[in-house]
Amino acid sequence: MNKTIRFIVIFLLLIFQILFLSMIGLENYQHKKWQAILFIVGISALLLIAYLKAPLHHHEHDIEDILVAIWVPIGAVVCYSLHTYLHLEIVISAGITGTLASFLPNLNKKSDYLSKLPVAIYCGTFVGMSSVNIAKNIGFIIAAGIFTGVLLLLSKNLFLGVGGKLGTLAFVGVTIASFLYYILHI
Amino acid sequence: MLLNFVIVIVSMLSAISTFYLSEHRKQGAVRASALLSLMVGILFSLFKSSIPTDYYNQIPVAFIGASFVGMVSSRALQHFRLVGFAGFIFGIIYINSSHFFKGYGGALGTSASISIMVTMCVPIYLSKRKRLNGLIVMRKWIFRNNKRSRKKVH
Repeated sequence: MNKTIRFIVIFLLLIFQILFLSMIGLENYQHKKWQAILFIVGISALLLIAYLKAPLHHHEHDIEDILVAIWVPIGAVVCYSLHTYLHLEIVISAGITGTLASFLPNLNKKSDYLSKLPVAIYCGTFVGMSSVNIAKNIGFIIAAGIFTGVLLLLSKNLFLGVGGKLGTLAFVGVTIASFLYYILHI
Repeated sequence: MLLNFVIVIVSMLSAISTFYLSEHRKQGAVRASALLSLMVGILFSLFKSSIPTDYYNQIPVAFIGASFVGMVSSRALQHFRLVGFAGFIFGIIYINSSHFFKGYGGALGTSASISIMVTMCVPIYLSKRKRLNGLIVMRKWIFRNNKRSRKKVH
């Protein structure tokens, strides 16, 4: 069971990364054919090698505490409301949320729970960085935040120490949410 | 053209400075990335009038994106050179990023993780052990071929 979950999460992230790369390729293909093909094929090949060979994952599979994952939608809502309702720049609102979150463990340095919160909140911040064109209301952000939280729950021992893991999880969450919205509205 | 060049330089600097703050100054990845991005964001909004619009819109976003690259732990990438290289690749992906995923939260993080994974391939192929192993295999191969060709000649 654990092995299946592990495989599914890794596969999902790989699919979304290749989707992301191929959209870049498709758009550049009209102007610069060979450059686009070389770029996409080269990077995808290296990506596959990294998935197969690099020490990305631990073999045992742990699941993050659900009380930690709850903070993902909260971080998302805070960041989204900062830049939508208070009209701050996206980078500044993400920076404020992340900086405040990073000082949470200082409240009680012995607490194991508090020390896990910055990562969850910062992960939510990336969801909240979605622009108003994509995330039309706060319900979308909460839904995307919940999807991302579930992914964060499942991917505790995967992609350890890889920068951008949180962002990729947020990207998958936002894409799934926008896909569901697209289907439900039609 | 100049903007693209500046974006690549900024992303390399951002990745390296975040990595330095989080790993060498022990501030933790989240604080390093968020604090540096906040500072750059505030700096740019303070001097909004004297900065061209393109630069104002793009540079802070590229900076926060590349700071996700710098959030990598030192177990995954050991050297500043490698982190800088990952920042360079991030800059290239950022310049070419598609309009389809514009405004999606996490698109920057995805570019960052792609560039980190691509960079993690470099030590696999450049490590001394592998290189030596490759040389030994190649030498054996050449040696054996020589023997065979000699046999054929005689």
